[in-house]
Amino acid sequence: MVPENMKKQLALAVRSIQWSYAILWTDSATQPGVLRWGEGYYNGDIKTRKTSQGVELNSDQIGLQRSEQLRELFKSLKTAEISPQSKRPSAALSPEDLTDAEWYYLVCMSFIFNIGQGLPGRTLAKGQPIWLNNAHSADCKVFSRSLLAKSASIETVVCFPVMEGVIELGTTEQVSEDFSLIERIKTSFLNSLHVNVPNKSGVLKSRDQEDLAYVAFDHNANNVESIPEIGYDIANATSPDGSSNAFQANQPLDETFMVERITSGTSQVQSWQVMDDELSNCVHNSMNSSDCISQTFASPENIASSPKCNNPSDPRARDLQKCNNPKMTLVDPRSDDWHYQRVLSDLLKNSDQLLIRMHSQKFHQESSFVSWRKGGTMDCQWPRSGTSQKLLKKVLFEVPQMHLDGLHESQEENDYKEGMRLEADEIGMNHVMSERRRRAKLNERFLTLRSMVPSITKDDKVSILDDAIEYLRKLERRIKELEAQKGMTNIEPGTRRSPQDMVERTSDHYFSKSNNGKKPVVKKRKVCGVDETGREINSDALKGSYANDVTVSAGDNELVIEMKCPSRSGRLLEIMEAVNSFNIDFNSVQSTESDGNLHLTIKSVFTGATIATTKRIKQALQKVASKF
Amino acid sequence: MDNSTQESHLRSENSVTYESPYPIYAMAFSPSHPHRLALGSFIEDYTNRVHILSFHPDTLSLNPHPSLSFDHPYPPTKLMFHPRKPSPSSSSDLLATSGDYLRLWDVRENSVEPLSLFNNSKTSEFCAPLTSFDWNDIEPNRIGTSSIDTTCTIWDIERTVVETQLIAHDKEVYDIAWGEARVFASVSADGSVRIFDLRDKEHSTIIYESPHPDTPLLRLAWNKQDLRYMATILMDSNKVVILDIRSPTTPVAELERHRGSVNAIAWAPHSSTHICSAGDDTQALIWELPTLASPTGIDPMCMYSAGCEINQLQWSAAQPDWIAVAFANKMQLLKV
Repeated sequence: MVPENMKKQLALAVRSIQWSYAILWTDSATQPGVLRWGEGYYNGDIKTRKTSQGVELNSDQIGLQRSEQLRELFKSLKTAEISPQSKRPSAALSPEDLTDAEWYYLVCMSFIFNIGQGLPGRTLAKGQPIWLNNAHSADCKVFSRSLLAKSASIETVVCFPVMEGVIELGTTEQVSEDFSLIERIKTSFLNSLHVNVPNKSGVLKSRDQEDLAYVAFDHNANNVESIPEIGYDIANATSPDGSSNAFQANQPLDETFMVERITSGTSQVQSWQVMDDELSNCVHNSMNSSDCISQTFASPENIASSPKCNNPSDPRARDLQKCNNPKMTLVDPRSDDWHYQRVLSDLLKNSDQLLIRMHSQKFHQESSFVSWRKGGTMDCQWPRSGTSQKLLKKVLFEVPQMHLDGLHESQEENDYKEGMRLEADEIGMNHVMSERRRRAKLNERFLTLRSMVPSITKDDKVSILDDAIEYLRKLERRIKELEAQKGMTNIEPGTRRSPQDMVERTSDHYFSKSNNGKKPVVKKRKVCGVDETGREINSDALKGSYANDVTVSAGDNELVIEMKCPSRSGRLLEIMEAVNSFNIDFNSVQSTESDGNLHLTIKSVFTGATIATTKRIKQALQKVASKF
Repeated sequence: MDNSTQESHLRSENSVTYESPYPIYAMAFSPSHPHRLALGSFIEDYTNRVHILSFHPDTLSLNPHPSLSFDHPYPPTKLMFHPRKPSPSSSSDLLATSGDYLRLWDVRENSVEPLSLFNNSKTSEFCAPLTSFDWNDIEPNRIGTSSIDTTCTIWDIERTVVETQLIAHDKEVYDIAWGEARVFASVSADGSVRIFDLRDKEHSTIIYESPHPDTPLLRLAWNKQDLRYMATILMDSNKVVILDIRSPTTPVAELERHRGSVNAIAWAPHSSTHICSAGDDTQALIWELPTLASPTGIDPMCMYSAGCEINQLQWSAAQPDWIAVAFANKMQLLKV
């Protein structure tokens, strides 16, 4: 039983040395051999002070009141957790009002320690004070709350045994080991305890209620079997304790402790230790690198179930494990931060998620992700209108069409679709489609050939082939002629034009479909236009601008395409194929080759049926032009 | 309670945001240069850009390398760096892009040079556009591409030849993923996931078909840590379907906690049971696959909200505690 004036004594002690907090860990009334929160006094930073009553308080009263309020807050959170339905009793403080140090203090209330375990437990077992410097960076095996301490910037923690249990003092300052300080406090502390001044301060009025709450709490904990759902909650709530056990179970630094642990423990404890080993290794690894996730999966189970090994009488162990596994494995054990975040969220399950996040963000490089909550984003505003998977669909469905646009495949695609539509019911659909495509390709090639041969008299395929043959023969003769000349160039330089200087080809009303009733354009006008454009292109070529090698201009009822690109065999064919795919009716095509460049001017009547925009045509041609 | 706290995620302590001049779609981490990542623009036009950035987790800084950005014809549908470390003698890094063609780029110290362009069409200069590709990390000379012409093409990129081309599906193939050196899987508009073995090209195994026939499957991710599992997403669906190749046709799990359609999935590079998904609901969710499925469905482990539809998601293999998401014209690196 905690003496009534204990809080006052703790207050005096901790304020005399100006440390942040004092906690008395005492024997649990319901679980012998276990140290739990007995009393505490918080002397650290306070963020907001809510004074519901307008009464002026002196610093003593403020401090006592604050400590009491923190305790109440903890109990209210606890209550809410055990019976979520019941409304949280109104506490003077809400979680939002707390500083990090107060959080630390608050979370400490949830810890229990077996004798010989944890800093308080070991102090009691040894009967010696323990002075811990750098508590925030202490190995979690030495000081299970080190991460919490880190968030609260607690640097020094001291434990020493007293009559009632263990006093723990902590401060945000770095205080070097000074056992005389402990002695001093102990003397004044214990002395004043003997004085036993009855303290009638109003803030202690809830003492009885608090004890009641303990009883209720422990009652639940011991009757997990009958109330499995509550047991579930308790299991989560006790996990900080569990983890501290696990962390401390193998403590290579403190061998005496190890011995104590083993001798006092049951055989069960030893078997657990193997797993604990694994756990701490994992935790260690994960501190350095987080690549051992699979290895550490087992650890939450250990954490959850390790409390049981220290409670040999415990019939709830089985249930604990049973009901914990699905839940606890959700903890990502890769980082201790995670674990503590989880502990906090379990502890404060019914309080604001925001709060936990706020708190946990104090850890360096905290995860960007937060724990998922069902319905947590119910009122989250995201654009619900519009197409779903908009960009993904564009990438998969539209980008390919962009590639195809302007290429001859699009022609095929149209044919393909047409074929599908018209003859979908026919058994020989595939054959029809492939035949249709073959014909389309054939026609296309003929038209291209026709555009390359200057003197074509008739439209039919035989004539085209005849003229092409004739043209080829002509070219062959020409080559022979030129080759013969080449031998003479040394004698007569410059008397003749070199063959690559200018080869001009003109074709008449290329690709004017005979069946669409379009009148062939008068030759005179056309030739004139062609000549003009040709000059322009040549002047462009002198400027040598490579980037703007394609211009597509749509004038009055006319589409003019001018382009220049490095000459290469088959280039013209490709260009014509690309242009063909836009279903453009041509008036004229003129191509010249000079200085290794191919100049091309295509004129066509601009019909409403042309679907492609000038931009599309330009893109398609640029693409052809940039090919090597 | 409070869900208006998304702003607080933009804290510099646990995420970095890069704002690009263009909308972003494709994205890749470099396994061999752990600080490097590539971003592909999404402009519905011919001219697009690929940017190379370097990311330093210690200082949480993201630096673009203007000298390493280059033009790409049409938006790249996927970017991927060489899955292995290059030979110690060379400091260069290979980057592959897909779009109208599969292209290889040599990312050097101060420049990016086009290495090769892969065209599998013998009859034409134009090959069918590629929806995606995957680089075989066991035999990195192998890249598989998926195309809207229903085929998958396996390239030997060292010899720049087609190793094989398979008519993989009845409709457009939307994604491809390698499992082993010679085994790959693909998803298609025909709604099936099929597994192919290059040693037996005659047969493929259908391991999943979308519940409503012809619901296209858009993306596929093979769990590299446990090859029994792969994940796929459907068109206009909030589901992530987890498949076990040992039990064809019946998914082992369906993750259905997204409130909008899912756009991207990525398995954890270092864990066999974790997967991240992102979608139109602006959320990125990290899931842990339980050993036993609960009857009420699987809840994600944790979540992040970007405030905007997330289009792309990559989990860094070199730095597994970082996930990159792309939304609108932003790329954000998130600490896991």
